[in-house]
Amino acid sequence: MTVETLTYIVGAIIATLSLVLFGWLTVDSFLKWLEPRRRAGKLLRAVLTLEQYRQLMRRGYVDIPSPRDPQCIYRVPQAPGLVGVIEQGRRKASLCLQPLEQVPDADLVVIHKLMIEADEETYLQTANSFARICDGD
Amino acid sequence: MGMLRVISKRGDERLHWNEQDALTGDAEALAAIREAERIFARERARGATAFRVEPGKPVERLEQFDPQTSQIIMVPRVAGG
Repeated sequence: MTVETLTYIVGAIIATLSLVLFGWLTVDSFLKWLEPRRRAGKLLRAVLTLEQYRQLMRRGYVDIPSPRDPQCIYRVPQAPGLVGVIEQGRRKASLCLQPLEQVPDADLVVIHKLMIEADEETYLQTANSFARICDGD
Repeated sequence: MGMLRVISKRGDERLHWNEQDALTGDAEALAAIREAERIFARERARGATAFRVEPGKPVERLEQFDPQTSQIIMVPRVAGG
């Protein structure tokens, strides 16, 4: 075996090992990214009613009725964003509330739902409210 | 069976316990309840809010750990954005 052949073999082994290591790291990072989202999705499915879950999947938001005011609903988006306060079919205000710790998007929906249903007063006191100026909805 | 779910950046972390076994003095079940109570207190101290979420019942805020609750969900501290 010549020195040149040996160099090629060693080079091929190093390249193969590098590729395997890169692939393993990529898959590992992807799984670490995916797992919290999978769990959050399962929790969301468990917390929402079937009707709410369907609405979220079809429309990208879920309407949570206000426990204190039957005319009022909170429109919680699937992606992070402002929660709409809808009264008699019109958006009257937008609310911004977020956890101090970063959580998967699906968990944000769970947090809004639990807070609105269990302690609407605190939810409203904590959230920043932006009143709607134009009534375009 | 009881379950504590703590929402975090890793998704929800879960801890289960068996209240019936704990009532009969089962050491493992008692240890699981103690652990759930410890996590509950730790998260509350960090500003988390706890909710009792049980099928067919309205969601309620929970100020103290209750091992008879079938599902407790803790959400991290929130603030106006």
